[in-house]
Amino acid sequence: MSDIFPKWTNQLPLMAGVAAVVLGTSVTAGIWYYLTPKYSRVGYQPKQPVAFSHAIHSDQLGLDCRYCHNAVDKSWFSNIPAASTCMNCHSAVAKDSPKLELVRQSYNTGKPIPWVQIHKTPDYVYFNHSVHVSRGISCVHCHGQINKMDEVSHAQPLSMSFCLDCHRNPADKIRPNEFVTQLDWQGQVDGKKLVTDWKVQPGQSCSTCHR
Amino acid sequence: MKTIPPPCPEPEVGPKYWRSLDQLAERPEVREWIEREFPAGASLAPEGETRRNWMKLMSASFMFAGLGGAAAGCRRPVEHLTPFSKQPEGYIHGTPQYFATAMPNRASAVALVVKSSEGRPTKIEGNPLHPDSNGGTDAFAQASILNLYDPDRAQRHSKGGNDVKPEVVRDGLAELNKKFSANGGEGLIVLAERSSSPSRARLQTALAEKLPKSKWFVYEPVEFGVSGTAYSQAFGAEVATHLHLDKAQRILSLDCDFIGGELDAHRHIAGYTKGRKPGDTMNRLYVVESLMTLTGGQADHRLRVRPTDVIRIAALVASKLGITGELGVALAALSVGAEAHAPWAEECAKDLLSKKGEAVVVAGYAQPLAVHLIAAAMNQALESVSKVVTLIKSPEPSGSGGIVDCVAALNAGADTLVILGGNPAYNAPVDVDFPAAAKKAKDIVRLGYYEDETSALATWNIAAAHYLESWGDARTCDGTVVPVQPLIEPLFGGFTDIELLARLVGEAKLTPVEIVRETWKDLNEAAWKKFLHDGFIADSAGKHLELTFNAATVVSKLGAAAPAADFDVVLYRCAKMDDGRFNNNGWLQELPDPVTKITWDNALLMSPKTAKDLGVSGLSGGKSKTADNAHAHDGQYRQFVIQVTVGGRRVQAPVWVQPGMADNTVALALGYGRTKTGRVGSEVGANAYALLSAKNASGSMHITTGGKLDRIPEKHLLAVTQEHGLMEGRPIVREANLDQFKTKADFAQNMDLEAHLPHYVPKKTKPDGRNAERYQNIYEHPYDANPSTVSQIHQWGMVIDLSTCVGCNACVIACQSENNIPIVGRDQVARGREMQWMRIDRYYSTSMESPLSDELASADPQMVTQPMFCQHCEAAPCESVCPVNATVHDEEGINVMAYNRCIGTRYCANNCPYKVRRFNFFDYNKRESDYGKAQNQHIVNTANFYKGFLGVNRDKEPEWEIIKLVKNPDVSVRMRGVMEKCTFCIQRIEQAKISRKVAVGNSGDVAVPDGTIKTACQEVCPAGAITFGNMLDADSTVSKLKRDPRNYSVLGFLDVRPRVTYLARIRNPNPAIVKLEGRKLEDGPDTLRDYERHRHESPFKEHGQPTGNHEKKHAAAESTVGKGAA
Repeated sequence: MSDIFPKWTNQLPLMAGVAAVVLGTSVTAGIWYYLTPKYSRVGYQPKQPVAFSHAIHSDQLGLDCRYCHNAVDKSWFSNIPAASTCMNCHSAVAKDSPKLELVRQSYNTGKPIPWVQIHKTPDYVYFNHSVHVSRGISCVHCHGQINKMDEVSHAQPLSMSFCLDCHRNPADKIRPNEFVTQLDWQGQVDGKKLVTDWKVQPGQSCSTCHR
Repeated sequence: MKTIPPPCPEPEVGPKYWRSLDQLAERPEVREWIEREFPAGASLAPEGETRRNWMKLMSASFMFAGLGGAAAGCRRPVEHLTPFSKQPEGYIHGTPQYFATAMPNRASAVALVVKSSEGRPTKIEGNPLHPDSNGGTDAFAQASILNLYDPDRAQRHSKGGNDVKPEVVRDGLAELNKKFSANGGEGLIVLAERSSSPSRARLQTALAEKLPKSKWFVYEPVEFGVSGTAYSQAFGAEVATHLHLDKAQRILSLDCDFIGGELDAHRHIAGYTKGRKPGDTMNRLYVVESLMTLTGGQADHRLRVRPTDVIRIAALVASKLGITGELGVALAALSVGAEAHAPWAEECAKDLLSKKGEAVVVAGYAQPLAVHLIAAAMNQALESVSKVVTLIKSPEPSGSGGIVDCVAALNAGADTLVILGGNPAYNAPVDVDFPAAAKKAKDIVRLGYYEDETSALATWNIAAAHYLESWGDARTCDGTVVPVQPLIEPLFGGFTDIELLARLVGEAKLTPVEIVRETWKDLNEAAWKKFLHDGFIADSAGKHLELTFNAATVVSKLGAAAPAADFDVVLYRCAKMDDGRFNNNGWLQELPDPVTKITWDNALLMSPKTAKDLGVSGLSGGKSKTADNAHAHDGQYRQFVIQVTVGGRRVQAPVWVQPGMADNTVALALGYGRTKTGRVGSEVGANAYALLSAKNASGSMHITTGGKLDRIPEKHLLAVTQEHGLMEGRPIVREANLDQFKTKADFAQNMDLEAHLPHYVPKKTKPDGRNAERYQNIYEHPYDANPSTVSQIHQWGMVIDLSTCVGCNACVIACQSENNIPIVGRDQVARGREMQWMRIDRYYSTSMESPLSDELASADPQMVTQPMFCQHCEAAPCESVCPVNATVHDEEGINVMAYNRCIGTRYCANNCPYKVRRFNFFDYNKRESDYGKAQNQHIVNTANFYKGFLGVNRDKEPEWEIIKLVKNPDVSVRMRGVMEKCTFCIQRIEQAKISRKVAVGNSGDVAVPDGTIKTACQEVCPAGAITFGNMLDADSTVSKLKRDPRNYSVLGFLDVRPRVTYLARIRNPNPAIVKLEGRKLEDGPDTLRDYERHRHESPFKEHGQPTGNHEKKHAAAESTVGKGAA
């Protein structure tokens, strides 16, 4: 009886097996890498309707974050300033700049400026800004060096493991409250002592963030 | 070493305390039902869909899902943040604001503080600063927020059927004013609801002055003013009454359900429960009633009589209070026919007299004026007027006629009828025929919240504003002035009654806020601001008026008792629908009635004996199931339908056999059977108003004598939750009489297997050889396993006092509102899929000497209510069976649910000993249910959510957007396929912890002070029966209560260490009457007596003393355990 299948077909199962392993590994690796916030979110830098530069306002002029984001220590939400906040200065400074056209328009007409949201946790995460900034966690830990950015980009993955890393080990990140909004701060502090003294016990169970 | 489960000996005899008659009769269906996690069918695919079809549908849906994912890409969609252009002062996005306001309710109001999230009201709380409030509210106030966002409410103004703009309405009202100013109001008739608003009273007076020929009538289908009328007549001046039950040591209720059916029940509950703390100052409650009510359930002594006999009993007790003269003679004459109860009355009167000045008699709204007059005479004799009952100035202008006068005026000829609120076309007595009379008016102007039966008559339909959208004012029952201030602009441009009136009168000030400001023009700006901020004017409560009692007037008004008839029909105010005003409220429709536990329906209540006589009890077949009495099957009640005929008026309703009802009496709740209402309320229940008559022989609209009952060949499916979550065979509620309690305060800890635990199960040994606190348990204690994770700052716990819980249901609705709990519709409730995280278990117990027939056994039960929800076990059985760790313990002792992890195995619900977990069988939040669509015999699946993705997903529709506004932004809205349950209001706990940490900044003082956190159920509870707090703080209220000797755990022998514990209920019976009832004082309440007789030793004896058999059992059990352990 002659061969129905040529000889090389004997290798088929092996080839299929190898292919499956390679494919499986690459799919897994692909998902592992590409479908995490570390890839999909970090670096996200949409164009904003107004070319506001944090670098100028915060780094060069030295404005405190809380001049504009004044509710950050009062609410879960760190507010985007109203146009009226901008106009506090810009009714005198650079008052005819074409870059500020949209701000003036918003101030005069009441139409809000459609800022593009960059940092966002999912709806089922109840993140609270006020408790972090009131207990020695700086803006920089989640938002990166915003004070150096002309156009804000997404600096950290803000994934659940990102949150848990810090919640499990707050001593590495904690700093005295007066330096919370100083994103450049490089001082040394005994984090473990602060954690003990302030009774910082960040929750690690579901109820801490999910309700 | 293998862990050994504690042996759980089966109860020796079946339970004699029970939730339903079927359970009492030990029907096999109930047995089956108890042993199930969910009712049969709850887990099945819908009928009519084969598995093959399902596979087709599912594969199609997977395909679509795949396509959708590919097309949408992996990036999140771009979202915009749109800040204000000018920052409003004091507003911080993300932090709720609170405003003081009030919910007007007839001639009273509930003082409130309402939470506003991002500009929309989301939660209602009582105003604890108010002088006559402890911060508690009722289910109506809690649920009223849902009415605000009801898409079925009137959204348009119309004239002659055509939509018109609000300006046209204003012009129309101005024209009416012009027209009637010319003729002095000739032909103008106003029909209004009761109101305590000083502004409305001012405008009513102005109307009478400016248009003197106009006529003003007031109609309420449930008239709570009858007590005020009685006192006004007895004391010869226009007064309203205010009850101070906190000052009462003895209370006699004459058919007065002050805990449930009466106005301002939450205030009465607060007062009553204040005197309910076990001790020498504990009050005692006597109840004479025909229906089984919550008040009857609380009673230390309950006398079950027909509604028409209440007057006789009242006269009998009154005549023994030492009332002499012609009033005494008249009372003696009235009491004829009640001689059988003379010993009871004698003892009751003696007890009342022993507490002169602290004893009070209250009469119910359903009783005729004569009973209220007798109550007034008794209070006068008991010297409690001015002490327990105060007489204050009536909030309303006097002299308005009622519906009968209104119809007479209409028949005499009228030009324009103005109807302010109410729904007289639906709820006026049938025999006065309001619709026919109204049609004689040329124009009918109607202000209404819904497009309902009355709207159909009207030429002008004006949409009313919700009280949360309105400016107004009101007086609470003590007379204190409270503001009604809006939290939101009227969603649909609604009008308020005062604005409409002001325009009709032609006032100068026409905007709602100006009208109210005009009434309070004496307040300067600062005082006005304070008024709005505090939510009341200090010291504005009514002062007691010293008046003289006029016995002669009382005698002249007493009249005669109604003659005996075959049947008495009682039409009572529904604990959920009120008089029908909450008919389109899904939360209330789905709320189980506090006594019957019926949802989405009303039913004809009758006693077991009456039902048996009529052949409709469904129990006649005993323990076998025959076709005819297929009564409860899988927890579904297919009930006989009865036609009630009284004086030519008739209505058909399903039968509900109610233990504790008076014989030959039937009762039907008002507010159902609407012909024109929203989607939620339509096709629900029978219209009791079809029987309402203004000319009853009983002297009360609510009690009709001489009914005729006919069984009709139909059956009706009721969705009843009384057997949902049954936990039988254990002393779940524990109670004792006051005397017993005094001998051994910690009796509750000496019951059931807890008393045995030391004998049965060895304690765990610590490494150093000492006994640990815990027994060996099959469920690993998370803190034993992982001690480093346990918080040393907070450990949360809760205590519920069964002595003060009256079962009013307010907590169930508060929880629903706070935690975004959906409604599921009648069909789903009948399948046991209701979603309320809390349920109030209602147990009956019987003093059964020997096996009696079920009718007799259930004739005079005692009743107990017990709130039941997640007990937050430390060694939680649910946690160990979850394959995905979706339910775990947090550091502070809360059993938490991570919805995103849940894959819906439902193992946890299966393993929960308390049956408190709820599963989202469908996307209840996105898809519409069938609501209360009536189904006979069989349940059908027409609801949208059965169609899966083929059904209409209403999530994006504008109408659905309105419903979403009621949601609490701090709580996740759960989707299909996840389990949920009580979280101890984790959002409130976290918020309080965060606020504390923000406040203390860099300090270690992070423990939340006691009393800061109140769970939603605790905050609403008018009785203060629920306490929540930190158990690590030894001085916290909850820690103190946990040390109370009455403290016990439900199913404590499981040693799962629930964080929710209960304080045993203490009753305070009168020894003399206990004897009359055939009970023995030393036996204690029926549940306790039953426990002792059938199962166990007295909890008042030290346990484990050698008593023969008992000792042997212990020895046997211990040796078994010993072997197992080895």
